[in-house]
Order: sequence, then structure tokens, then C-alpha cells
Amino acid sequence: MMPFDPTWFTVSSILLWVLAMLFFVFSKRSKLIAFTSHTLFLSGIAVLSLFAVLLWQELGRAPLRTLGETRLWYALFLSLIGYATYLRWNYRWVFYYSGMMAVLFLGINLASPENYDKTLMPALQSVWFVPHVIVYIFAYAILAVSALVAIKGLFTEYFRKDEDWSTQLADNMVYLGLGFLTLGLLFGALWGKEAWGHYWTWDPKETWAFLTWIGYMGYIHFRYHKPAKVVPAMWILALAFVVLLICWFGVNYLPSAANSVHSYTS
Amino acid sequence: MRSKKKRATWVSPWGYTEGWLFALGLLITGLALQLATGGLESNTLAWPINLFIGLGFTGLIAGSWIFLRKNSLVSWLARVPAAISSIALVTFLVLLMGFTLQEDAQNPVWVQKLGLSNMTSSWPFLLGMAFFMASLGMATMKRLTPFKGRNIGFILNHAGLYILVLGGLLGSADLQRYTMELHEGEIVWYAGNEKGQQIEMPIALELQSFNMEEFNPKLAVIEPNSGRIVEETIPEMFEVDTGNRSNIYGYDVEIIRFMEMSGKVQERYEPTNSFGSAPSALVKVTSEDGTTTEGWISSGSFMMPHSLLDLDHKYGYALAMTIPQSSHYSSDVVIYTASGQEREARIEVNHPVKVEGWKLYQYSYDERFGRWSPSSVIEVIRDPWLPVVYTGIFMVMFGSVYLMTLGKAPKKENGEKL
Repeated sequence: MMPFDPTWFTVSSILLWVLAMLFFVFSKRSKLIAFTSHTLFLSGIAVLSLFAVLLWQELGRAPLRTLGETRLWYALFLSLIGYATYLRWNYRWVFYYSGMMAVLFLGINLASPENYDKTLMPALQSVWFVPHVIVYIFAYAILAVSALVAIKGLFTEYFRKDEDWSTQLADNMVYLGLGFLTLGLLFGALWGKEAWGHYWTWDPKETWAFLTWIGYMGYIHFRYHKPAKVVPAMWILALAFVVLLICWFGVNYLPSAANSVHSYTS
Repeated sequence: MRSKKKRATWVSPWGYTEGWLFALGLLITGLALQLATGGLESNTLAWPINLFIGLGFTGLIAGSWIFLRKNSLVSWLARVPAAISSIALVTFLVLLMGFTLQEDAQNPVWVQKLGLSNMTSSWPFLLGMAFFMASLGMATMKRLTPFKGRNIGFILNHAGLYILVLGGLLGSADLQRYTMELHEGEIVWYAGNEKGQQIEMPIALELQSFNMEEFNPKLAVIEPNSGRIVEETIPEMFEVDTGNRSNIYGYDVEIIRFMEMSGKVQERYEPTNSFGSAPSALVKVTSEDGTTTEGWISSGSFMMPHSLLDLDHKYGYALAMTIPQSSHYSSDVVIYTASGQEREARIEVNHPVKVEGWKLYQYSYDERFGRWSPSSVIEVIRDPWLPVVYTGIFMVMFGSVYLMTLGKAPKKENGEKL
């Protein structure tokens, strides 16, 4: 019953991004190709942003409730962050990887179409809802880039020993991402006090959010103390992202989460 | 690179080896204590014992930093190896917790004996947190003395986290969390705790009315025997409202009339707002071959059965109306305090009401009756340590903004090589 078709927007963004990445491969050959690539990529972001705005208006609530809705924002933020990272630091591979991850996440949404509905359970109707989730998704998208640096670093370390690489992008992304992650966690605590009566109850989602947070804390402390030991640091970073993914998606499947108050998707 | 000279364990300065051994020792001690005593009672540390423990622990850390900072243990606790080994110990314990259903009697006996199913009140967790806090506290002291302006971000994060966690751990012993079950017109001044004991409250509540608003129900195709929604039609489900029209399972369905509250009169539904009324809709269904049928559907209520409209004779599928979900619910109550005050208030989800140090939350209602619930459950919570915890939360919030600025500008030559 939506006045517009979500599939149309999703497919358009995917196509625009894929084309942008194809053009990007040859972008060094001419300014025109580079310009086309950038235009296509930004158009993909614009189409998805438009969709997010329309969806928000149509539903009359922030489209941040279901996993599918969070994937939409994730794709949007990841493409934005990837593009900004490329512009700022000129890492070409970040452009590809964030683009591909964004396409992947939209692809999941395409494969399992949702029934977007207006219902929003009373516990979610709070001024904290939007800041809590947006800040979290933003942190997740930034930390995804740091995980990519870690995987690329480990790959280089084990298989391409001669290549030179640096962890600086990972460090920068973790500082930024952990900052947002902490804000998201604390916003959640303040909201929890208003909605459920306590700021921290060790609900399974909270337990895994804590694990995610402390994992990145461990990374920062280790990097600070042993900046030369890059390989263990990259392992911490890659594993922390696995914990992050469990927190985001996996918790719903864990038996320990049978009584979680954080499942809104059913 | 530092030289890789071998250093004997337990010789100053301590490093990671000591950290892992320390963590392992605490873990074994904790498990032994757990097996011997069977865990901790959370309210044994109630006021004022928790205050003394908090001051004593903090005093001990501050004192040892000021007077004994040359000591191997003290100087080690203030440095990163202790931070990382304590983080690892806490992470390990919380990871176990993340995989074990907490506070559940279904867990195997050995899991319960080791305290894994009541992690936050177990000895290993307590000792792990003590290690974590000692390291955190000592690191804070190290940067605090002498105070330098450029350490402000570090201090906000570390001292803030220390205050937040200490307040949370110690405060949990003073947290009072009860529920009051209210029935319309009755004054209730007793609350129940999680063990089912009755506690006399300094405030009394009288329920005047329980209110609920609902979202419109949705149109679904179901398998009538099981009541299951037909999987492939889920993306096609749509909101039931007068005039809405869409395709579902190959049928064109138009909602001719929707009533939020109605009652069945022979084969029709008529509007009514009497107790137990249910939503219903008159729908017009056109199949692909152009045949049209009209009929009523209703999600029913505790008093009325639901109504379906048969669709597909091959599989026996039928058109149904989902049970509406609540959009808001609240309780209008009169609050009486021990000091003789009386006031009316509305307690709504996400909008608790404060009364004399207590916060009142809309907790639940009798779900069998839905919007017609004659009772409402209010949760009453007192958490005197909240200001301490919030102080920590706001310090860490500012600290996390500082953290975001730590990224360094890239070196030019790295550009493409990474």
C-alpha cells in the first residue's frame, strides 16, 4: 500500500553504485571518467537518502525499528563514510570496499523484502530512539572500515610480506567509531532508565554491546602501548568486528537471548 | 623497537606475563569461592556498607598511588599491561555470560554451580571487576597527579568510567524495584518483589482508568487451521482502513468500511463501544478471473470470535485481520503519599512519574483483555545512586567526544600504498 515501490529505490542505488565502481576502475585515465564515477556514486547516495526520507514520512515514524531498516541506514552511512574517507585520505580501496558492502547490505534487503509498517511499540516511542540508533549505525559503519583495514593488513602480512601498509586509517576509524559507539551505549542507558526503569540490566543485547565496546577499548590500549606489534592489533580489530556483528544480528539467534527486550522484529 | 631481553617474572617492572597470571589467579580464586559459598547476595552490601566499601576502595587506590607508587604492584596497576589483562578477564567472563541464559534454572548443574548463570552476582565477576577497577582507578590517579590541562580528555574517560561503574556496582545493592498491581477503584499501598514477597510502600496508588490506543490492524492471508500467515504474502500485507485497496495473494482487496470497535449482529458488524468490542471490516475481494465477493473480517477479542473470509479453495487459505498492536497505553492514577499529599497523574510507557524519590513506570496490563484490561501493573523503582552513575555517564559522554578528535592527519606518502 505504499505510494512508492521500495524495490525501485534499492535497485537504482545498487545499479548506480556498481556502475560508479566500474567507472572508478578506469578513473585515472581521464577526468571525464572520474567525474562520471563520482557523479554516479553520489547519485546512488542521493537516491537512497530520498528513499529514507520518503519512508520516514510515509511510516510516520523513524524507519529504524527492524533489521532491514537498519541495513538501509547502514548502506547509506557506509557509502557516505567510504566516500568521505576516499576524499580525505585518498584510499582507493576504501571506495570499493564500502561501495561493495553497501551494495551487499541493500542486496540482503532486496532478497528478503519487508513489510514496512507503521507500528512502533510504545517502548520505542521516545526522543532517544533516533539518536540512539543513528549514532550506533554510524559507529558500526565506521568500524566496518576499520575491520576492512584489519583484514587487508592481515592479508598483506601473511601473503604479501613485501608490501608496505599502515594501520593509521584503522586507528583513526576506531577513535571515531568508538566515540560514537560510546555515545550510542550511553544514550541507550539514559533511554533504558526512562523506558524500562534501569540504565543497565545485562539484557543479552546489552551484554554483547558491552563486549563490542570493551573489544575496541582493548584495541586502543594495546595500540597505545605496543604500536609496533601490528599483527595482534589487527587480530583484535577483526575479532571485535565479529563481536559487533553478533551484537547486531547474531543476538537474535543465541539461546541466551530468549528473554531479550531488544527484539522488535517479530 | 625495544630490545628483547628476557625479564624474569615477578621482577619489577611487571608486564603482561604477570597480568595473565594475576587474572588466572583471580579466576581460580573466584571459582573456588563460588563453589565454596554459592555466590553473593546482592543486598548484603546495602547502605551504608556499600558507601564504606566505595570510599575504602577509592581511598586505598589513591593512598597507595600517593605513598607507594614505587611498589611493583601499584606502579603496574597504573600501566597498560594491567589494563589489558583486566579487560581480557572481564571480557572472558562477560563472553561466557553472553552465551549462557542468565537466571534460568534450566542450565546444567555445573553451569549453575560455577556461577555462570548468575554471572553478575558471582565471585569470579566480582574479583574481575575489582581488578578492572583497581587498574582503572590507578591509571586515573597517575594522570591526575599532577593535574595537567591536556589530560582532561583522558581523565573524563577514565574517572568517568570509574565513577559510573563503581556507582552502578555498589548502587545495585540499594536498588529497590517492585511492582504494584492495580485494579480500578482500589487503593493499593503494597508492592511485590521478584520473590513474590509483599512490601509496604510509602506511597499508595489508585487506578482510575487504564487507557490504550491501537494501530490499525493489517490484512493478511492465513492458513485457517494453524492460524499462520502465508509466508509469501507477508510483504503484501497492508493496513486495514476505510478506502484502502491493494493486491494480496493475487486478489484485489478493497476495504469498504473499517470499524475500530464493533460487535457482531447476526452476519454483520455494527459499531459499538461496549466492553469487549472488536475491530472489523467489510471487504470486497476480486479474484483474477473477475469474480467478486464481499464479506466481513474481524480479529475478534476475548469476548468475540474472529471472522475470516474464505479465499482459495485449493489450499483453504482465508483473508484475516491481524490482532491490532497497541500504539500507546497508560494508567490514570491517584497518588497518595505518606505525608498526606494527593495528586492525579498519568503513567505512560517512556514517561515515568516521580514521587518522593520513587519513579513509577507503566509496566504491563492484563494482555488477555487488551484494551479492555481491568488492571494495570505499575513498576516502582528507587535508585538513590543514580546521580553518581549519571555523573559518570556525562563525564564519559564528553570524554567520547574527545576520543573522536584523536585521529591523526595522514602522512602524505601513505596515500595509495595502504
